[in-house]
Amino acid sequence: MWSRKSALLGSLAVSMYLLGLTLRNSQLVTVAVVIFVFLTYAALFAGHADVAASGRRMDEWTGEEGVALSNVSAMRKLSAARVFEDGEVEITLRMQNHSALPKILEVRDRVPEVMRIKKGANYILMELGPRRETFIEYTVECPLRGFYSIGPVAIRIQDTFGLFHKEKELHVYDDFLVFPKMEDLKDTFVKSKVPKIFTGAVNIRQPGPGSEFYSLREYFDGDSFRSINWNAYARSGKLMVNERERDAVSDIILIVDGRAVSETGPVSRNALVYSTRASASLARFFLSRRDSVGLIVYGDEVVSVDRDTGKKQLYVILTKLAGAMARGNTPLQVVVNRILPHINKGSPIIVMSNLESDPTIVNALRDFRARDFDVTVLSPSSLEFEFDAKRLDRTGYEVMKTERDILMSELRGMGVNIMDWEPDMLLSTALAGARGF
Amino acid sequence: MAAPAPPQQRSDTAHLYDGKVVRSAAPSRKKAAGQMKTGSEVPDDAVPEVHIPGFIEALLGGPVVPKHKFLPADKMVQTLQLGAYAMLVALGLITWIVTPPQGTIWYLIFGSIGGATLLHSTIILSATGTGLWGTMSRDPRWLLASYTLFILSAMRFASSKLTLSGDWFDLATYPWLATVLVVVYAVLLVMYFELTNGVIRFSMLDTSIRTNEVYVMNVKRIISKYHRSLLINPVIAGGLAAAVLSINTIIPAIVRLFSSETAVRMEESVELISVYGVALGSLFVFLLVGLMFAVNFPHRLQKWRESRD
Repeated sequence: MWSRKSALLGSLAVSMYLLGLTLRNSQLVTVAVVIFVFLTYAALFAGHADVAASGRRMDEWTGEEGVALSNVSAMRKLSAARVFEDGEVEITLRMQNHSALPKILEVRDRVPEVMRIKKGANYILMELGPRRETFIEYTVECPLRGFYSIGPVAIRIQDTFGLFHKEKELHVYDDFLVFPKMEDLKDTFVKSKVPKIFTGAVNIRQPGPGSEFYSLREYFDGDSFRSINWNAYARSGKLMVNERERDAVSDIILIVDGRAVSETGPVSRNALVYSTRASASLARFFLSRRDSVGLIVYGDEVVSVDRDTGKKQLYVILTKLAGAMARGNTPLQVVVNRILPHINKGSPIIVMSNLESDPTIVNALRDFRARDFDVTVLSPSSLEFEFDAKRLDRTGYEVMKTERDILMSELRGMGVNIMDWEPDMLLSTALAGARGF
Repeated sequence: MAAPAPPQQRSDTAHLYDGKVVRSAAPSRKKAAGQMKTGSEVPDDAVPEVHIPGFIEALLGGPVVPKHKFLPADKMVQTLQLGAYAMLVALGLITWIVTPPQGTIWYLIFGSIGGATLLHSTIILSATGTGLWGTMSRDPRWLLASYTLFILSAMRFASSKLTLSGDWFDLATYPWLATVLVVVYAVLLVMYFELTNGVIRFSMLDTSIRTNEVYVMNVKRIISKYHRSLLINPVIAGGLAAAVLSINTIIPAIVRLFSSETAVRMEESVELISVYGVALGSLFVFLLVGLMFAVNFPHRLQKWRESRD
């Protein structure tokens, strides 16, 4: 391909040649001839034989990239196929020159735009000797969850003066997954009112509804009078209650709002990002407690992961969360109608939504509450994200904030544990706030 | 003496969260909101800046002159700058010698050799000055101005005659020396274009290397290859240009093999020693080059070079 420089020089040479003939000026013609020679030499001997004017290609030459690049190949190796957000992937690109000529190559390994190059470079200019290979190593940081692909490898060869160049894309792709990052949770304050009893249920060394004694603790408002240990009260003069070890597991249902509106805000700070991170953290916490965890992500469709336990379930949930895209506008009522017949009575339900642009929210959550489900809503506030990004002026913010507060008060009145989750608030704090602590 | 009173029992659970901040509202945001200006207009920074390319930019696929900011020149760029300075001074001098003001537009305007010489010299000096400044500051706009002025100084009606403005070495008596001078002028001009362009290119490369945008393996070999090309290309270009300009001696020499009378006639032919002779020479040379491309010679050559053991 001609570069802008060669095109400009070519036009200049033609103009000078014609002008030289018109003005009968041999200096101009000589300059034009020198420029022509310059261009021809670069085209002839700089690995750009494909600028041949015949329009024909050799039979065995199938690629558009020309002979010079047909002998260059690439291979790639990733250090990990799955990482968490803010994790790093080390990439090793192996470039090989199969020809007998050394080549000066520009190599750019395409990485997704959201990735940051942490170490090394994915853009290299190098001289690759005849029948030699070289390794290019660089590290990318993955700040956002998702399915990603590295590649293709774009290579370019040009003459020393940058007059002609030829490009080729080597279609070498490597995929990897970035899971949402997780926060360590000590407690979620979410307990099932109706534990699911399994035959041979195991003790999980946590206080909760069960039969085995676990510990004594102070009496709090709301504790059952039946659990008061009167002997301990007599000894200490303080009301003490017996805590029992949980010997049952519960079903936890996580519902993530993945509608288009959930991505309101900056790319790295929006409701969907917060919801997926919260879901991942909660899933890990509950699964480590041997609960069954189910996940529902709704946007343009309702994607669900059946309740299950164990590490494999965590991997399945994380994979679904990694692929959650902000699309569509399915109302929460549709999700509720679909899942209601399938979940055990009293199962804790945790909804993560910014509560925007969905007129069915109140009715849907009322349906849950009417059936005595323990509903917790964590609502990452899109208003705050937008306001922080200075995309929202004061009046708009105040008006929408008031509307949001009214909606939350209404939901709180229905017995929903709800929390306005601010951008800088830890998940554990938001959960504690939602549960009224 | 009375025993100390036991600490008061608390009935709420707030003490469990001592030291933790639990908020249900956003006081910090509200505070920030109070500090923001009133009004409901769209904030300035909410509207992204969109650069709409002009006609020329759209035509060329980018800005005519790149607006890069370079880091201070390193040794590689400084060497190229020094070369460009030397080239520029030599070019300025040789341009002044091979392009006399006679035949220029300003000669026609002034009608006198004095005024035309003054303006002509000013143009060459300006071309040299802007070139020096452009090379030093690495600003392509000045370099573009310099190129234009150099080309402008060569725009003259020459009547197919090679005249020199300052013939200090009595070159007119040796036509082949004058031819060499013209070839040297042409090569210097093209090399000046290339070297100054190289200063910009390598400044961009150097900035990219130092800002970690690109990694260059074995940078010395790449530079030395460029330096080698800077020596080889002008020699080849100059040789070919000399051959084209010497067509009035080459063709008669070939014809002499068949007829010496015709050869003498050709040597004295006005057309052959004029600019049309040069055009004829370049036509022959480029017919040859065209023929090479037509038979895919470059491709075959490349293929052979790629595959040999």
